[in-house]
Amino acid sequence: MTDRELITKLQSLKKIKPDSAWQTSNRDLLLSQVSNSGARELSAWQLFTINFSSLAKAASRPAYALGAFVLILITGSIFSHQAFSSAKPNDSLYIARVISEKAKLNTMFNADERNKLAVQFATRQAQDISAVLADPNFNTEANRDQVAKLNESFNDEISSVKTHISYLSPKKNTENNKIEATDNIKADNVTIADSGKDDNGVQLFEGNKINTNIKVEANPKITVATTTPVLNATSVLNVANSVLASTTEADPSSSELNADKVLEEAKQLFEKKDYTKASDKLKEVVEIIKK
Amino acid sequence: MPSNLIKKFKNKKVYSKLKGHDKEAFIKVYDESVNDIYRFVYFKIGSKEEANDLTSMIFLKTWNHIQTNSLEDSKTLRALLYKIARNTIIDHYRESGHKLSSSLDDENNKIEIIDDTQSPQERLDQEANLELIKAKLPLLKEEYREVIIMKFINDLSLEEISDISGKSRGNVRVLLHRSLNALRQLVEEDKL
Repeated sequence: MTDRELITKLQSLKKIKPDSAWQTSNRDLLLSQVSNSGARELSAWQLFTINFSSLAKAASRPAYALGAFVLILITGSIFSHQAFSSAKPNDSLYIARVISEKAKLNTMFNADERNKLAVQFATRQAQDISAVLADPNFNTEANRDQVAKLNESFNDEISSVKTHISYLSPKKNTENNKIEATDNIKADNVTIADSGKDDNGVQLFEGNKINTNIKVEANPKITVATTTPVLNATSVLNVANSVLASTTEADPSSSELNADKVLEEAKQLFEKKDYTKASDKLKEVVEIIKK
Repeated sequence: MPSNLIKKFKNKKVYSKLKGHDKEAFIKVYDESVNDIYRFVYFKIGSKEEANDLTSMIFLKTWNHIQTNSLEDSKTLRALLYKIARNTIIDHYRESGHKLSSSLDDENNKIEIIDDTQSPQERLDQEANLELIKAKLPLLKEEYREVIIMKFINDLSLEEISDISGKSRGNVRVLLHRSLNALRQLVEEDKL
């Protein structure tokens, strides 16, 4: 006889039960006995309290466990990021830093903020690569393979920074009406320079007046130009240039253009193996993006 | 996990109701457990009348225990019932001065299994086998018999058995293995 057969036979013994008559009579007997010892029917409020407290008792352990798990997860993610952020590209913990940065990026919901942070991370990584390569103890023939890999990573990071900057630019352009207005002025001024001049080269085009009037409040120089109905071409160009200068100073897209330019310079310096200066340029990029 | 949580919640709820002197909760517990407790007692004592009396006593003792104690010493209400049942049986042995050594063979308590797919001959064989096991159970050592009843007849979990018997789960597993082997030996000896 196998164990299974034996167990099946044992389970058949479940059929043994007390007499139903005894069961009922004993039930009544017990009920009367417990009633004598104070048994009663509970009120709805008492039942509600019992249900609530039982639920709280049953769920307290899993709730504490879940709470502890979430707490560990949050503290872990915060402190691990801080601990790994100082890892250099030639460290074994560098991969942890990359993962932690990616995790942080993925937890950001605002696309603009995410792009800004991505630019900062990629720039810092490129900066760290430059710093590592600037170290004469590391940048030797023996580490040729690693140096080549780091060079490749640097280029990847630079292209990543550029991509994220390009994501940032169009948004800012649409958000900022001022930039659009400046573009319109620029276009109008070009048209004005080509047409509407009289024989003396004096600008009489109405559009010019309107456009310059826009900037009257912002630029005192223009007041002179607008008060005189007839302007010569040179003064018009001066006005246009001053308008452009004043608007491009506060133009965020220009800061991105600057960032692109500085990045390109950093790349060139890196290719010339001037790692310290490349690193300085990358620092500038971070500052520009922060602004 | 959620089923465990629900089980735990239900157990706490019934216990709190009993603690609050709820008649309905007591009757519910009685209806749910009376068959299992009766079977446990019957297989340990071997007499139907004594099993009836002791079962009734066990429920009353459990009620009184809950009113004066907490459930901290038992993981579930079922485990508490079995613990009280064990102690009541020990007290009964002590008072009556005898232990179960004779057969459980009871003419008034024959087991009838009706299975239409079996031929009359097969049915007779199966009944004979069952009667054989029933007859051999009292010959097992007390602790072997106890774990067999709890695990294979009353379907208690290893955790509950370990809580009731005060043994570790590993020990309970070993005990179950040994008791099954011992019972098989007894059954096979008789067949030969």
